[in-house]
Amino acid sequence: MKRASLLALSVASLFSTAALAAAVVGQPAPAFTATDLAGKPVSLADFKGKTVVLEWHNFGCPFVQKHYKSGNMQALQKKYGTEVVWLTVNSTNSGHQDYQSPAQLTKALAEFGAAPTRFVMDEPGSVGLAYGAKVTPHMYVIDPSGKVAYNGAIDDKRSANVEDVKTAKNLVVAALEEMKAGKPVSNASNAPYGCTIKYR
Amino acid sequence: MARPLLAAASLLLALAAQAAPVRTEHVEAELLAEAAAAVPGKPATVGLRLRMDKDWHTYWRNPGDSGLPTKIRWTLPEGWQAGPIQWPYPEAQRVGPLMNYGYSGEAMLLVELTPPADAKPGPVAIKADADWLVCKDICIPEKATLTLPFAVEGGSPPAASGNAALFAKARAQLPVAVAGWTAESTLAGAKLTLRVVPPAGAVAPARVMFFPFRENFVDHPAPQALVRDGAGVRLEVKLMEPVPTDVKEVAGLLVAESAWPGHAGRKAVEIAMPVVASLPAPAAPVGVPAGEAGGSLLVALAFAFAGGLLLNLMPCVFPVLGIKVMGFVRHAHGDSRALWMQGAVFSVGVLVSFLVLAGLLLALRAGGAQLGWGFQLQSPAFVTLLAALFFLMALNLFGVFEWGGFAQSMTSSLSAQGRYADAFLAGVLATVVATPCTAPFMGAAVGFTLAQPAPVSLAVFAMLGVGMALPVLALSFFPGALKRLPKPGPWMETFKQVMAFPLFATVIWLAWVLGAQAGNDAVMALLAGLLVLGIGAWIYGRWARSESLLRFVFAALFAAAGLWLAWPGPDAKPGEARAAAVKEGEIAWQPWSPERVAELRASGTPVFVDFTAAWCVTCQVNKRVALNRDEVARALADRGVVALKADWTNHDPRITAALAELGRNALPVYALYAPGQAQPKLLPEVLTVSLVLDELSRLPAARPAAASTLTQR
Repeated sequence: MKRASLLALSVASLFSTAALAAAVVGQPAPAFTATDLAGKPVSLADFKGKTVVLEWHNFGCPFVQKHYKSGNMQALQKKYGTEVVWLTVNSTNSGHQDYQSPAQLTKALAEFGAAPTRFVMDEPGSVGLAYGAKVTPHMYVIDPSGKVAYNGAIDDKRSANVEDVKTAKNLVVAALEEMKAGKPVSNASNAPYGCTIKYR
Repeated sequence: MARPLLAAASLLLALAAQAAPVRTEHVEAELLAEAAAAVPGKPATVGLRLRMDKDWHTYWRNPGDSGLPTKIRWTLPEGWQAGPIQWPYPEAQRVGPLMNYGYSGEAMLLVELTPPADAKPGPVAIKADADWLVCKDICIPEKATLTLPFAVEGGSPPAASGNAALFAKARAQLPVAVAGWTAESTLAGAKLTLRVVPPAGAVAPARVMFFPFRENFVDHPAPQALVRDGAGVRLEVKLMEPVPTDVKEVAGLLVAESAWPGHAGRKAVEIAMPVVASLPAPAAPVGVPAGEAGGSLLVALAFAFAGGLLLNLMPCVFPVLGIKVMGFVRHAHGDSRALWMQGAVFSVGVLVSFLVLAGLLLALRAGGAQLGWGFQLQSPAFVTLLAALFFLMALNLFGVFEWGGFAQSMTSSLSAQGRYADAFLAGVLATVVATPCTAPFMGAAVGFTLAQPAPVSLAVFAMLGVGMALPVLALSFFPGALKRLPKPGPWMETFKQVMAFPLFATVIWLAWVLGAQAGNDAVMALLAGLLVLGIGAWIYGRWARSESLLRFVFAALFAAAGLWLAWPGPDAKPGEARAAAVKEGEIAWQPWSPERVAELRASGTPVFVDFTAAWCVTCQVNKRVALNRDEVARALADRGVVALKADWTNHDPRITAALAELGRNALPVYALYAPGQAQPKLLPEVLTVSLVLDELSRLPAARPAAASTLTQR
């Protein structure tokens, strides 16, 4: 009897359900450890007590290009660079045409003048799957208590048109400013837009 | 002289504008009008026709997890009004772990343009700036400015434009707005349940999928469970979290795989379902469309019972049953009550394990995991554990050690309690090893049941267990048959040791399964772990008489070290797919993907899909007996059939989803797609050469081109 129940238990505990999980607003952000462009480990736990912005990234994606060619993303990274930890995450699988090696990414980021705190290489896609990240750019904000405060789009103009950046309402900025003012985030959860993340 | 020339030139220009669809990188876009001219004050329908390159997609109004809906900005003459885009129903497009709702091939987006009531007759220019996102592996935002030379007619009905057939086809793809249906929904946590019952007399189709209008609302890739409710259906849909608090009504499309009754073959209905506090209990299914689902519950129960009976003859269960039979031999000449109690306890063991496994499967699936029957063997850790257990059992049969007081040995006959523990354990083991074998009849039953409410599916699984346990139970009730067996004696020891060999064979098979899942190193680790585990067992048996605690300490240490060694690490990688050169007379298997199937079918190529797994014993037997044969390989090549292998050895949600589409959830499944047929033909679970050849001979003979691509490799 004992062994039978043990067996059943082990079935339950051993089997991992590799479906898309999600980072839900108001709930603790999934912990992760990955490597940065220099191959050094990056953990969410390293930034305990700070506001963390996660930006899903792929330079091959026209929607990401929209925010880098317009200078929008770099400006945000610099504007909030002193107040928040900005982690740019790339979950593109190495077999995809959009994949860039850490060396290529380092070069491209420098050319664009990007200034994330750290750049997270998530080639296996495990960070992306844990957060339920769907598109590039999919944006998350994690509050200093480690809870997800924002999950959604970068702004409200769902296009790849560079011109739209000027007139769009930046939803990440809105969330960060509300958090700074000690207010609840009014639009905390919405549909992100962009290119499908190239998971394995 | 000059004027006619000018007129001719402008006419040519006008024709050119009309005739030139705009070609972007991956799409050919065109603006078309249904009639040659509009009538003042009356809406005229125009269409934006997008023809995508093969494998490229554009998106529906709710594009799903990624993508963007197509947008149109109109530049119209003074006073004209443009209506909204009338979206044809989309298809569900799986992209890795994500799901999109969109179009492949061609999408015709209809829009009504209404001229003012006082519009002057004569030519008008219609201009549309269309933006769309087109994706394959990558996404490209594209746009085009399209013009349509159009006109306003005076009074008389508009002349036909020659586009009538195109528009009729486009209208057939639009959802039907239905009235008089019972439609409601309820929210519980992150689960949305929709209930839709067509008006009296009509029966909802067997397979239906819900496409919500609202974005960021349902968990798009999660499977939707369909439950029949009277003549209608209810769908259980997983929602994304956090669930919005302002949901008063859920609206979207219900798309049937076949068609909705009473709507002339239309596949999609548009429906709004108010959210209510709770739904009535589901009514008994009425008039389930025949031939679409796996059949009724009774049929499924009968199939499950027959499948369970036949499981006893499948190779997986054999080693465990051998041990059980031995147990019977020992008691055959003894107390008949003890005998049938043992049979009953064994049956309970089988039943409980079937229910536990099925319950786990249902619970994990409800959590959104894409799993199927036999799922536990997709876990390398579980395979390792099972191999270790079987190895220990075999050592025990060899007499290396006895279990001791904790669980009774398979051979000695001490207390009655010990014997029952034995029988129960045998039942559990028989079930656990039986799952990778799918018996005939079982595939359809298991596939049917997973779309049903939990009590129904559990009943079907219990019936499988009843079928499997029945032969042993029957034997225990009629001990007369066993009396003819020789009396227990020294031969029993020999028989016991012989029974260890099938168990070792099972360990070899499990090592092979592990190799397919986690690579060569994992097999090495397993074998080394088994060696150390064996040392532990030997210490335990060698000093069985010793009172010293050291015996237990060392045995436990070695056992733990063995398991630690054998345990597959989290970074275990599947062995590289061996790109073995295809020898003559072998089938040129290609890897399966839903995209590949769609692509081949679109080009009219017949496709044979082998849904298989290393742990699926029936699959391996079929492969050797019926598939890897010269005559089969030749027949496939002759008919130009492309053979695709869908390997479910490791967890793969795409394969689970594809199986679900075929109404299956257990292996093996063999699907043969004939050109021009909407549905594949499913071959039986147990194949023979003649059966496969027979099925292939029904395909049309291959075009020479297709055949040569197969043979030239």
